[in-house]
This record gives sequence, structure tokens and C-alpha cells, in this order.
Amino acid sequence: MTGLVVTGFGVLSPAGIGAAALDGALAGRIDVPAVAEDGFPPSGAYRLDGFRIRDHLGRKGTSTLDRCTGMAVVACGQALADSGIEVDDGNRRRVGVALGTTMGSFQSTSEYSRETLVQERPYLVNPMLFPNTVMNCAAGQCAIWHGLKGVNATLAGGPLAFFSSLRYAANALNRGYADTVLCGAVEELTGYRAWANHLGGGTGTGEGAAVLALERQPAPGRRVVAEILAVTTGFAPDPGTVADALAGCVARALHRAGLAMDGVALVVTGAEDDVLRKALPDGCVPRLSIAATFGECDAASGALQAAAVLAGHRSDPSRDGQVSLLAGYTARGGVAAVLLRGWSGGGTAGR
Amino acid sequence: MARVVVTGLGPVASIGTGIDAFAEGLRAGRSGISRIRSFDPTGFPVLDAGEVHDFAPERMLRRLDPAAWGRSATFAAAAARLAVADAGVDPDRVPAGRMGAVVGTTSGESQVVDQVTASIVEGGLAAMPVSLLERLPAGRLAEAVSTELGLTGDTLTLATACSASNYAIGYAFDALATGEADVMVAGGADSVCRWAHAGFYRLGALSDKGCQPFDRDRGGILTAEGGVALVLETLGHARARGARVYAEVLGYGVNCDAHHPVAPDAASIAECMRIAHENCSVKPADIDYICAHGTGTPSNDLAEAQAVREVFGDRPPPISSVKSMLGHTMGAASGFGAVASVLAIVHGFLPPTINFTRPDPAMPWLDPVANAARPARVRIAQNNGYAFGGNNAITLFGEAP
Repeated sequence: MTGLVVTGFGVLSPAGIGAAALDGALAGRIDVPAVAEDGFPPSGAYRLDGFRIRDHLGRKGTSTLDRCTGMAVVACGQALADSGIEVDDGNRRRVGVALGTTMGSFQSTSEYSRETLVQERPYLVNPMLFPNTVMNCAAGQCAIWHGLKGVNATLAGGPLAFFSSLRYAANALNRGYADTVLCGAVEELTGYRAWANHLGGGTGTGEGAAVLALERQPAPGRRVVAEILAVTTGFAPDPGTVADALAGCVARALHRAGLAMDGVALVVTGAEDDVLRKALPDGCVPRLSIAATFGECDAASGALQAAAVLAGHRSDPSRDGQVSLLAGYTARGGVAAVLLRGWSGGGTAGR
Repeated sequence: MARVVVTGLGPVASIGTGIDAFAEGLRAGRSGISRIRSFDPTGFPVLDAGEVHDFAPERMLRRLDPAAWGRSATFAAAAARLAVADAGVDPDRVPAGRMGAVVGTTSGESQVVDQVTASIVEGGLAAMPVSLLERLPAGRLAEAVSTELGLTGDTLTLATACSASNYAIGYAFDALATGEADVMVAGGADSVCRWAHAGFYRLGALSDKGCQPFDRDRGGILTAEGGVALVLETLGHARARGARVYAEVLGYGVNCDAHHPVAPDAASIAECMRIAHENCSVKPADIDYICAHGTGTPSNDLAEAQAVREVFGDRPPPISSVKSMLGHTMGAASGFGAVASVLAIVHGFLPPTINFTRPDPAMPWLDPVANAARPARVRIAQNNGYAFGGNNAITLFGEAP
């Protein structure tokens, strides 16, 4: 067991803002149509329509924030509100952020590069937009907007970015560097990402942001919505063996949690493909895939996998105490697995 | 908790590749700044950077095919290969899952972004070459190291901008101290690119007269690149295989300004130093040398100097900036600083701050080791790292146990 618990979460997905929208879409109750607009490839794009940063954060200081930064800041705020954590001068140095990404904002960075090629002088770029080109921009803005001076990290890992964030956050909490870490990942939908995915053979591109409030010893009375039982990672230097490496990762996670596969009620993956089918062959455990509903969400996948579990528990107390497995891998051989036990929100700290 | 030691060093830098050449470069106060070659700098008022010329990854890498990875990934993998050779450790003899790689970066495959963007300007988004797109994810940097070395443990890329190597070293330190791993390769990598050169220039942060940290008339940074890796092990694992131990990793501290996206915050930097000292159980008086973040911008160097005074008092230890020689290697910077700190301890010399012409009257308490390396007994060295986003990370190194 890791001894770490989740006391709240926030999520933005193409289905809408919040847990109910996510749960409804994954259960097939809410339809998430593809964006019908120029600028996106034929394979389809899925977007949180109508999301405007200024609706949530106001106009002051938000006009230069890019979409993924805005989504991350909003998701962090929701996680804080959902967990009931109040940040003040007494604790802000002990509240941190660990966010996962693929490459920050592909659009922000490429548009910046574009200006150096098309402007009359190559240095006529907009200095106000330069911070958006750095991958830790979202995590830095989450800290600024919510006044969080603790451990602040950005992990680049694509489909494993959230798993890396969780590893990083768990270490920070266990080593006593922080008391709370807002742990999540974000990915914005842009034509850049959608076309990159399409050209690589993808079948649809989505977006999302989800953040979990992770703590070691929550204050009494704060509700516990999940317990992290295990987080395991590994690497397959020969990508042809990644399915076996992932199976090994899952086995180690089960061993650390003291469980067998028949103790797992639900498996959630980012996508569903041959690697995952080979690594997780057990067909009798219900399975959810984020991409089946929202398209490829890259770094947001892992976070949406976790949020899917938490959202499912929130809407169905009959599932209290069930264990779910999250699994993911990267094309170059990274593998990771997470086991978590969830509750609807009636649980109390110290359970 | 296990004690953690440094057993291998692998720099791929403008002043020297491989630990012997790099150390010699530091001692000599060599400048790695030159006219930019990786892109056409025509039209820019500043034409120089700290590029690594003659980088030949195909000669340095055993498993990785450089044609399939971006420049930053090959920097990371080449540095790791050098470090592992220097450490004399055979990854195949470390039990499965017990050796991993952690790489820090600011902009990942930033040169590839330039290349992809050029194709977009030509033919639109549908014209982006798939072979380039595959290289873009920054997580590929750590994956390149683990692929090159055949590692099966934790493989992580930390994208915390210009302090990222210190974050990587810190994460590796924790993995070893807590028994999650026996050996970790930790470091950083970044590439010079057109868009960052433009961006820093437009911010007013680029110097047109070289990098002059702590100098009264300092004018900013020069962008630079490279790859750096340290092999870290538990003391027990190192002793069991008879490894040569360079130094001990005492620990680290991190915090976040949560104030401004780019401007440094002296009070927050000072706080990060205190956190690092507390985590390492050291007092300011124990520290013999500070390897500065020392970018050469008016604001960073002043904030850093003020923080040093606040924590160390009016007679702090000597503090020098290797960025004066290398330029600002972004995510690799604090990794090069770590190597310099270890060399200071092992060989008893302080690397210089070169290009130093006159002291800044706003920081009279500073001894920047002006222009020439100096012999010194260094028992404990502090390695500073600050960044956009307020991501501060400081590592401390001590003599070998």
C-alpha cells in the first residue's frame, strides 16, 4: 500500500466540466460528437465546447494564457474545492503541483517558431507569449493562480505522463517534502495535435484535464474518495516486448497491493489495442477505454483514466470499496500501472 | 535510508565532451560560445550561442539509431553512455527493474519543432512529416537513455525548465535512498533552436557581448545546448562492485515562487536554499562553494546574490557560474553545474566565472572566482537551479564517504 489517499478531484473532458459529465459520456448516456469544423483532420476531433478561460478566471491576466494552461488552472481549482482544502499562509508551502504533459503546447511552440520565419525580422515574436512555449507553464500558472508554493513539477510522458506525476507526487509526500500534491495531467485540442495524430494513423483526437488532490494524512473529517494501493512503472528497451513488460508491471502492482486479478472490478486504459489486449487478457473484468469515447487524449489519458474511476464511484455508492486498475504504455517502451480503491465520498479520513 | 553516491560523469558540452575534456575546459576557463550554425541567424542582432559542434552520436551510441531520434534525445543518450562507461557499471548486471533513467529538459526536441514548423509554413498542417512528429514527445529523452542502456526501471522526463537536471538528480536520489533502485542515471538535455533564440532576444534577455554573470555591466544570457548525465548509486551497491566513488549526493530542496511566470524571486530562492539545507542536515557554514544558476541577466544574478546574502550572511562561500563558459544550456544547466560541483570536490578547484570585468556594487559580498580557476578544499558544494514558472531546485554534494 502507498498510504496515500485522494480527497478530491477536478476534471474537464469533451463531455463537459465535472465528474457527472465524464461518467455520463463513458457510460454512453451523453453523446460526444466530433467537432464539425475546418482545421481538423478527417479522423475526428473531440473538444470541450465553449470552454473559455476568462469565464472561469476572469479577464485580468488571462488573455495570454493558452488553452492547456487554462484547463489545468481550472482543474486544479476544482480539485481544491472538491477536497475542501483551504490554502493560506499557514500551509501554502506544503501544497504542491505535479502535472503531466507530452510537449507542453504544440500550438504555442510551433506558432512561436512560425513567427521567426514569416515576420519581417526573425525576432519580431510576442514576448508575452514566450512563457507558453515552456513545458512547465501550466504548472507554474497553477501555482500562481492558487498560491501554491510547495513542490512543483512537470512530467513529460505522453500516455504515461499522469502515471509519472503520480509517482512524483507519491515520492514527494512519502519523503515529507509536501503534505498535499495536486496531481494530474492536461492536453489541449488543437489542429496541430489532431493532424499529428491523424498523420500517424490515429483515429480521433481529444483533450482533457484532470487533477487529483493527493494527501498522506488528511485532516480529520475530510472525505477520502480513493486510496492509492500501488503505482508501478517500468521500461521495455525492445519495444517488441512492451506487452510483456506491461503485464509484469501489472503483476507487481497486484503483488504490492496484496491482490489477485480477480480482486479488480474495473480496468481503465487510454486506448484499446493489441498491446493492451496482450498484456491484460482477462476478458471477464469490465473494461473502459478513454479513447473509445474521446479519441486519443495523449497526456490527459492517464488523468482521465483516474477521473473515470473516481467519477464512476461518485455516481454509484454501491461500488464503494471496489478496486480499479489503470494501465498505460508508450510506443517507445514505457509501461505503468496503478491500483486504486474508490468510494462515492461517504468515506472518512483514516479508513 | 541508503546513502547515495556519484560514480560516473558524462558531459556532452561545447567546452568538451567526456569528463576529462570537460574538466580541463572548466579549469582553463574555456568559452564554448561561437557563431550559430544550426540555423541561419541572419536578421538577428545576436549571432552567437553555445552550440556543441562536431557532435557525432553515431560514434558514441551503441543501441540507439540517431536517425530515429531528435537531437536532445541523442544528447541525453550519449551523455548517459559516457557516464556509464566512466562509472564502470554494466547495466546488464543490475537486477531487472533496479536501474532507471531520469532526464531533465526545458524544451525537449525544440529543433524538431523548428523543422516541423518550416514544413507547416510550406504546406500546412497536413504536410508535417511523420518521422519528425514521432520525435517530438519530450518523454522520448528519458526513453532514449533507457533504450540505449537497456534499462528496465523507472524512466522519467522532468520538464521543469532551467532547473530540470536538479529535479532529475533529486528524483534519482530519492529512488536510491528509499531502496526503489540500485543505480540511476540522472541528467538533462536541450538543443539550441531558432525560436528560443528569438524568444529570449525579444524578452531583452540575450546578451550581445558574451555571458558575464555577476558583472556590473552584464547584459543577459546566450542560449546553449548539450547533454549531461551522472551515474548515481547506493553506497552499498557501489562498494559491493568496487566502484570509484566521486562524491556523495547529500540531497536537495525544491519550491515554487508562485509569483511571476518569468521574473526571479529572491525571497523564494532563499527559502529554497533553506529547504535544501534542512533536507541535507547542513548549515550554511558547512558549504565551501556554490555553483550558481548565474545566467548573466541583471535580474537573476541580483536575486541570486541577495538570496545568498540572506542565507549565508555577508561572507558567503565563493560562487561562480559555469554559464559564463557554456552559455545557458537550459534543462542541462544544473546538470553541468552538478558535474562542476563534483569536480570541485574531487579535484579541489573552483571553476571560474569568466568574462568578468568589474564587480557589481549592488553585490559587494560576492566572490565570483573571477576569470581564473582557483585551488580550494571543497567538502560540500551547493548547486543552484532556478527557472521560468518559479521552479527552484537546489542539490548538495559532499565528499565521498
